[in-house]
Parts: sequence; C-alpha cells; structure tokens
Amino acid sequence: MKATATAISRRDLVAKIGKGAALVAAATAVPGKAKAALAQRAVHYAMVIDARKCTGCHACSVACKAEFEVPLGVHRSWVEYVEKGTYPNVSRNFLPRLCNQCSEPPCVSVCPTGATYKRKEDGIVVVDPDICIGCKYCMLACPYDARFINPNTGTADKCDFCLHRVTEGLEPSCVNTCQGRARIFGDLNDPNSEVAKLVATEPVTVLRQEMGTKPNVFYIGADHSDENDTRVPGQYIRVDTHRPILERR
Amino acid sequence: MQELQWGLPVIGYLFLAGVGAGAYTVSSSVLLRGGGGGFSGDHFNIARYGALLAPIPLIVGTGMIILELETFQTAVAHGDISLLFRWINLFLTINLSPMSIGSWVLALCIIASVGYAYTFLSKESADGDDKNGLRHGLAWIGVPLGIAVAVYTGILLGAMPARPFWNSPVLALLFLVSSLSTGVAGILLLRALFGKHHKAPDGETHDASHKTASRATYLLASSDVLLIGFEILAIFLFILFANLTIGNPAKAVSVILPGGEFAAMFWIGVVVIGLLLPVLIELRYVIPTLLYHQPYAMPRGIEVAVCAVILIGGFMLRYVVVVAGQITGPMGI
Repeated sequence: MKATATAISRRDLVAKIGKGAALVAAATAVPGKAKAALAQRAVHYAMVIDARKCTGCHACSVACKAEFEVPLGVHRSWVEYVEKGTYPNVSRNFLPRLCNQCSEPPCVSVCPTGATYKRKEDGIVVVDPDICIGCKYCMLACPYDARFINPNTGTADKCDFCLHRVTEGLEPSCVNTCQGRARIFGDLNDPNSEVAKLVATEPVTVLRQEMGTKPNVFYIGADHSDENDTRVPGQYIRVDTHRPILERR
Repeated sequence: MQELQWGLPVIGYLFLAGVGAGAYTVSSSVLLRGGGGGFSGDHFNIARYGALLAPIPLIVGTGMIILELETFQTAVAHGDISLLFRWINLFLTINLSPMSIGSWVLALCIIASVGYAYTFLSKESADGDDKNGLRHGLAWIGVPLGIAVAVYTGILLGAMPARPFWNSPVLALLFLVSSLSTGVAGILLLRALFGKHHKAPDGETHDASHKTASRATYLLASSDVLLIGFEILAIFLFILFANLTIGNPAKAVSVILPGGEFAAMFWIGVVVIGLLLPVLIELRYVIPTLLYHQPYAMPRGIEVAVCAVILIGGFMLRYVVVVAGQITGPMGI
C-alpha cells in the first residue's frame, strides 16, 4: 500500500506540478482581479422619479431647503408644473427637478479651476466652494439650469444627492420625505437595487437627452412637453414653477 | 426676460479684448511685413500706434471680467478680503476648459503686449534702434497670441451645447474677424486723433510726407474693407447655418431675425451702423485709389467717424451675441 501511495507516476507528477502552477498563478492574480471587480462595483448613484406618483406637494423642495439652509430665491431642488390642453381635455403634471449628476457633465468640462468635478467613487458631481471663483461658466453650460450662485459664498452651488447623507448610508433628504414614494434612490451598479430594476424594466426617460449629458436622474411618466410643442392649433401648454423666474430655462 | 449670468462687464471685456488683440496682431503684422523702411517709416508709425494701444483695452477688459466674478462681488459686498483674489485659482491649474486656456493665453498676451509697447515707448524709437531685436521677437509672438485671444473669445461662448445661439463654429471666426477689424479701427482712430496734422501747404515736403502717410493708411483702410467683407460673410454663415438646423439653433437664432427680440438692434446696430455704413464710406475713398491710382485722401473727420462706427458696431455685436445667447436655451425638457 505504502509503495503504491508514494510511488507517483511521472504523469501524475507533471499533472500535479501543472495544477500547482495554476494555483500559484491564480493566487497572484487575485489582487488584480479583485481590484477590477471593485472598480466595476464602484457605486453609481442614480435616482428614478415616478412622475405619475408626484402630487406636487413640495415636501422635497422644503426638505432640501431645510437640509442645506438654501438661501431665499435659489433652489437645489424644485418642481415644475406642466399644464396643457383646452377644456375639457386638460391635464396638469408635475416634474420634480434637481441636478442630473450627468455621466458626461458639461459643467465639469467648462470649469476653469477644477472646482467642480465628478467623484470617481460614486459619480456624484460636486462643487468645491473653496476653489470656485464664481465665474458662472458652469451655470451657462448646464442644460438643466440646476446651478446657481450661493449668495452667502459667491460660489456655484447645486444639488449633490445629499452627499453628507448618502456617504452615511442614508437616503437623500428629498427621497426620505417624498410622501408618494415618487423618488427612488440607489446604486445603479447593484443589479438588485430598486433603481437598477426600475431602469431596467420601466420605460424610463431622461431630460434633454439630445444634449448628450447622460443624466443619472431617470423619469417614469414625465411630461416632456413645453410651449414649443404645441402641435394642435389652439392647444394651450404652460410650464411654470415656484422659482422666482417662472419660465423653465 | 431671463436674468443674465454674464452682463455688461463680460460684454465689455469681449469687445475690449478683441480690440486689444486685434490691434496687437495688426501692429505686429504691419511691422513684420513693412519693416521700418517701407513708406519712409510710416509702417513703423502705424505699428507704433497699434503697439501703444493694444495693452490698454486688454488690461481694462480683463479688469472688467474680474468685476463680474461672483466671489469678487461677494468680497466687496461682505467685506471679505479672502475672496477678493480668488481668481488667482485660474492660474494655479490648467485644464481643457476654454476659460482656463483663455486665461493663460490672455495673461501671456497682456505680458507680451506690454513688452511690445515698451519697445515703442520712446518718441525717438525707430527701426533698427537698440530695442529692435526685442520688438521683432514680440511681434512674432504677437501675431499668434493676438489671434489666439480673439478666437478664444468665440470658443468661450461656443463651447456649450446648452446655449444653441452660441454653439456654432462660425462664432469664433466672426469674433476673430471682428477683432481684427476693430483693431484696425482703433489704430486708425488713434492716428487720426493724435497723428501729425498736414495743415501747412508748404510745397513738396508736405506733399511727399502726406503721400506716404496716405499710402500707409490706405493699406489699413483697404484691409479693413476686406475684413468687413469677411465679417459680413461670417454673419451670413452664422445665421444661415443656425437657421438651417432644425430645432434649438433655428429657434435661438430667430431672436435676431425679423420679428425677433433683438432684430432691430442686430440689423441696425451691428449690420447697418457697424458694417455697411463704414464699408461704403471706406469704399468711396478706397476705390479711386484701387482702380484709378488716384492719391488716397480720406478727410480726418470722416476717418474719425468711420473708426467710431466700426468700434460701436463691434461692441453692439458682442452685446447682441452675449445677451441673445443667454435668453435662448434648449427647447423641451
């Protein structure tokens, strides 16, 4: 028995060495693979807004104002009202708005100082108020009018998906407060997250897709019409909002 | 009307930087092309007017955009000194933002133009004096730097798809040609205002000097006719291509087309007063020289008026473009 156990044939030996080499190779390859997997698994925050569930209650607008003590006259988060039709065929829809945290953010590419940048770890576009010089180039470059000058600091400001909350594992304040559950927030890279499932299965749209910004705020059932879309003669479309400047920009 | 993010300081800056960059480029070109010898040193004199003019609008314009910075305004309003020089951050980094590249190019252009003006500062400065090497070196730098500043002002506005009125490749060309044209106008204006008067009718010496002076101004005036021709072409292309593009650009450009909010200001202020009027007057004096080799003589008063309307037109162009670009955005949502 002993002899047979110890007497390893040449073929077995070669096979074992081969297996060992493969094991060693696998072991050394693990850190690289793990890194790649981690990079892929970087968080990609996104929001889905189900406009069908929005009642225009402004809980999100108020929660956002309270969360950041946003000065009067400017808004990180706001709601637009789209009225259209002629009586009796009329409708009124609500369109909650915030920074789209674009995957191709035009504000970042025009910033001359690098004060605004897209975070690699979670894709949130942020402004560093200690670097920003207040040139307003980003405000002009943003197709969503999501940026404003904070009158207290003189620097650009905007929604940052409540960075201070989400890094602590909390939901953004507007999501937390939404009474109709119209806002859903999560990690698009996690296939089991609610946002990933909704984006995968629902007919989601993004705002001003033709701008090529690849927004990370998706809408379900949003009314994308504005005054220029009046196709039926005599039909009435009005868009306004609670911001000091009533028109959509 | 929607509130403007970029107001009069930016409009003034785009105009003044254009004049300064244009004057630097034209002055350098005239110096390098004509040297000091051509036309009894008159090329040199024209280069000198351009050189002494260029840094002033460049520096004043740059000062104006600092006023537009919100950190600067907040610093003044709140008495916060730490925000006053926040714009230094522009020069702590460089990236592909048109504003970042533009700031560096503008800073280099100001430094070079100040040095270039310094070589002309002395009244006795002449071609071949001890500053000649520096002067020619800075002139060689001045042509590309001046063009770069003029073009960048167009790219600055043109870089944003969110602003369909500006988002046209023709805009940089339009601003470049307008810069060169207003630069020429600035030089001719200085020359008309401060140049030597030829009042004394004392025979040949006056005639000779007058002829050479006229030949040099003829060179600039005829170039200006050409530049304005190119500017009209650029405006034609700008409007045509925007109007041919269905959707955002067509909707945006409609504010300067008949019936639009800025139609009167654009067609009367920019096209008629700023381009057609001066080009017709200049043609009236350039054509006899061009076709029949008659001596070129534009009365001083008319020369001043032509230069003034060209400069007014250049300002109106920046005004209409900057404001129209901000009141028009993408359609739909």
